[in-house]
Amino acid sequence: MAKTKTAIPGISFIKKLDTIREYKLEANGLRILLIPNASAPVAGCMVTYHVGSRNEAIGYTGATHMLEHLMFKGSKNFNKEKRSTIWHLLETKGALVNATTWFDRTNYYEVVPKEHLSLAIALEADRMRTARIREEDRQSEMTVVRNEFERGENEPMEALDKQLWAIAYQAHPYHHSTIGWRSDIEKVSIERLQQFYNDFYWPNNATVTIAGNFNEKEVLKLIAENFGVHPKAPHAFPDMYTQEPKQEGERRVIVKRTGANMVGIAHKIPDGNHPDIPALIVLDMVLSDGKTSRLYKALVDTAKVMDVTIYSYQLHDPGLFMTYATLTPGTLHELVEKRIKKVYAEVIEKGITARELAYAKRAVRVALGHRRDGIYATLSALNEDLATGVWERFVTLPQEINTVTVVDIKRVAKKYLVEDQSTVGWFVTTSH
Amino acid sequence: MDSLAKNITEKKLFENARVFIAPMRTQDVVTLEGSVLGGSNMLPRSLRETPFLASKLFDAGTKKHDKKNLRESLAARGASLSFSAGGDRTYFSGSCLPEDLPFLLQIVEECLSTAVFQPAEISSTRERLLGRLKEQRTDTRTQASNELSRLLYDETHLNYAEKDAFQEKSLKSVTRAQLVDFRSSLGREGLVLAIVGDIDTATALRAVERTFGRLAKGTQTSVLKKKNTKAPMMQEKRISIAEKTNIDIFLGCVVPLTYESPEYLPLSVLTHMLGGSFAAHLMQTVRERDGLTYGIQSYLSDFGKDLEGSFRIWATFSPDLYERGVQTIRKEVKNFLSAGLTENALTQKKEERTGSYVIGLSTTGGLASLLHKIGREGKPLSYLDEYPRLIRALVVKDIRAAAPMINLDRLSLAVAGTFTK
Repeated sequence: MAKTKTAIPGISFIKKLDTIREYKLEANGLRILLIPNASAPVAGCMVTYHVGSRNEAIGYTGATHMLEHLMFKGSKNFNKEKRSTIWHLLETKGALVNATTWFDRTNYYEVVPKEHLSLAIALEADRMRTARIREEDRQSEMTVVRNEFERGENEPMEALDKQLWAIAYQAHPYHHSTIGWRSDIEKVSIERLQQFYNDFYWPNNATVTIAGNFNEKEVLKLIAENFGVHPKAPHAFPDMYTQEPKQEGERRVIVKRTGANMVGIAHKIPDGNHPDIPALIVLDMVLSDGKTSRLYKALVDTAKVMDVTIYSYQLHDPGLFMTYATLTPGTLHELVEKRIKKVYAEVIEKGITARELAYAKRAVRVALGHRRDGIYATLSALNEDLATGVWERFVTLPQEINTVTVVDIKRVAKKYLVEDQSTVGWFVTTSH
Repeated sequence: MDSLAKNITEKKLFENARVFIAPMRTQDVVTLEGSVLGGSNMLPRSLRETPFLASKLFDAGTKKHDKKNLRESLAARGASLSFSAGGDRTYFSGSCLPEDLPFLLQIVEECLSTAVFQPAEISSTRERLLGRLKEQRTDTRTQASNELSRLLYDETHLNYAEKDAFQEKSLKSVTRAQLVDFRSSLGREGLVLAIVGDIDTATALRAVERTFGRLAKGTQTSVLKKKNTKAPMMQEKRISIAEKTNIDIFLGCVVPLTYESPEYLPLSVLTHMLGGSFAAHLMQTVRERDGLTYGIQSYLSDFGKDLEGSFRIWATFSPDLYERGVQTIRKEVKNFLSAGLTENALTQKKEERTGSYVIGLSTTGGLASLLHKIGREGKPLSYLDEYPRLIRALVVKDIRAAAPMINLDRLSLAVAGTFTK
C-alpha cells in the first residue's frame, strides 16, 4: 500500500475507505484509524492490542484478562499517588471507561465529552509501555477476577459454553475461555503477567481508533506526541502456530448442575475472513434472527424452548457456529437436539427461500445503521473486525453480504452443518 | 452547553398524550419508546400477572393480521417491536428504517387495540413464562433481590415481590377474557411516545396523529398508592441454592419519598457518590482496596408516581468471602456517610453526572429513553436542559440533608447462593 506524508510529522496517510481514514505512526508502526461523526459533542478512543486468550497456554490461561485488570492499576504518569488514575481523571468527567478481552484481542476505551479526548489519548499512550504490573495488585485483583469467574459459573449458558469450546478444540487455544481456568486465575505469577505485557504491549501490535466529534489534525498531532515516545517492539511477537487437527466425528459433553436445562450444538466454521463467512452470517439470521426465523418457529412457538440463539463467530482462526436453546420444563434434551438438527437438514436439503434472503438483507441494513448509532457502537464493531486481522471488513463485509444468494446459503449449510464437525452439549439440571 | 431541547418537538395530542420527535444525524436508524396507561398496579393482587402475559401476546395476532402475517410484515422491513408490562403502564419499543416509521406505528396501534389472544398462543406463551419462573428459582440475583423486596414492604404494597409459587399460580389462572378486558382498557389517554433518529419531524407527527388517533381513549387511570406499613428493621434472610459458585447480596431500606419529592435528586446523587460508578466509594474500597468482589453498586429502586421506593446495594461474593464482604459494606457505608460527603467529592460527582448525561444522550436509544421518562414523569421538555443545571446547583448541605434517609441501623439483607457454613 502506498503511503503519503501528512501535515503531521511522522504520520503517514495509508488509505481512506468509506468514512474511515487509516494512518501510521512511522517511528513505531502504530496503526491509527479515524472515524469522524459530529452528530454529538462526544468522542471516543479505543486501543486494540492484537493479543487475546489465543496467545495463552496451560498454566496461564486467563492471563490476558488478568493483565487487562492490572492495566487499571496505574502507569508512570497516571497513578494513585498523583491522584491521576483513569477513574479520577476521566470517569469523574462522565466518561464511559472500560476494557474487554476476547480470543484474539484486548481493548481499552474511553467515550468522553469531546473536550476530554486529549486526556484519554495521553492516558492510553502512557499505559501502553509504563503500566505498573505489580504483585501487590495481582493479589487483590486475583480475588476480583475469581469472583467474575464465579459469577459466570453461576450461569448455565456460560458453564455449557465453556465446555463446548473445550471439547470442540483440543489443540488450539480457543479450547479455553477468555477468563481462563480457576486454578490459573489463582496461581499465575506476576512474572508471567509481566512477560505477557512485555511480549505484546507495543505500538506495532496495536491500533488506536478515534471516533466521533474531533479535529483530525489536532488528534493526529496528539497521537504523534503521546504514542510517538514509544519505540517499536525490539523483538518479533510470539507466534501462535498451533492448528486444530481435523475433527473426525461428533463429540458430546454433559454438564450436570443447578439451573435451566439447555442444549447447545457447535459446528466448526472457517476464520472470519474466509469467503464463506457472509453466507454463514445470512444463514445465522435465517435460522435464528427474530420471531419469523426457522428455529424460533420450530422451537419457541411450539413452547419446546424458552429461547433459541445462534452465535456465528468470526474470529482470527477457524471458529464455531453455535446454537443454544433453553428448554421449557418437561421438554427432553433429545427432542430439542433432534428438532434443531431437523431444521438444519431442511436447509441443507431444500435451501432457503428468496423471501427469507430478502428479510435477512433488510435486517443487515438495519444492523449497519445501528453500528453508527453512538460512538461506542462504532468503536466496538470496528474493533472486532480489527481482531480478525482485516479492519476493512467493517466496510466490505456488508457489501459481500448483499451479494449472497440462496445457492450460497444451501452450499455453506451443506458444507459446515455436518455431524462429523459438530459438538453437542447438554446442560442437565440437578434441581427439579 | 447548547440547548438539548431546542431541536426536539413536543406535541400534545388527544387526551393528555405527549409526543416527542427528535431528529438526529444518524443514517437508517429510527428508535421508538412509548407507553400507555395500564399495568399491574391497577389490578387486584391475584390478577397482576395479566398485563405481563398480555404484553407477550400483543404481537401474536390481531383482528386484522394473524401472527404469521404480522411478524412477517415486520421482518420484511427489518423492523423490531416488543411490548412489556410495568406497574402503571404498558410499554412498547422498536426500531425501523426511516421509511417504515408509519408502518411500525400502525402495528403498535393495531396490537394495542385489537390483539386477539388466541387460546393456542396463550397456552404456549404461558408455558414459556412458567419456564422462566422455574429458571428464576435457581438464579441467585433474582432470588436475593425479590427476597429483599419482601423484607422491606408489606404484602399489600405495590413494590412487594410475590413469591414464586404465588406468581406461578397467578400466571396459570389468567383467562383469555381477562386478557381481552385488560387490552380493551388501554388507550391513547396518557400516551407518551418518543421517536428519535433519521426522521423528518412533520412526517413523523403526521404519522403519529393519523395512527394513534384511531386508538380508543382508554379507561385506565392512575390508582392511589398505599403507604408501606412495614416498620424498618435490621433483618437478614438467606436463600440456599445448591451448586452455586457466587453469592448475590442485596442490602437496603425503604425511603419514604417519591421521584417528585425535592429530596429525591440530592439522594440520588448521594447514592451515586456511594456506589454508582467505578470511582465511587464502594468500588474503590470493597473492590479496589480489599479485592472482595467483582462488582458492587448502590442505586435507588422502585420509585414511581406517588410511590415510595428503596435504597439498595447489590454485590457479589465468593461463598467464603461474603460475610466479610457484608461487614465491610456496612462499615464503608457508615464511613462514607460520616466523612465522604465533602465539597470536593460533590464537585467531582456533579461533573461526572453532567458529562455522562451528554454521552448518554448521544445515541437514539439514550435520548428516546430519557424523553419517554420525562413524559411519564410529567416533567416539561425543558427538563432536558434543566437537569444539568439542577445537578450543578446542588450544594453539600443538600446532600448531607439527604443522608439520614439511609437508615444505617435498619438496613435489611437478603443473600442467595450456596453457603459453606
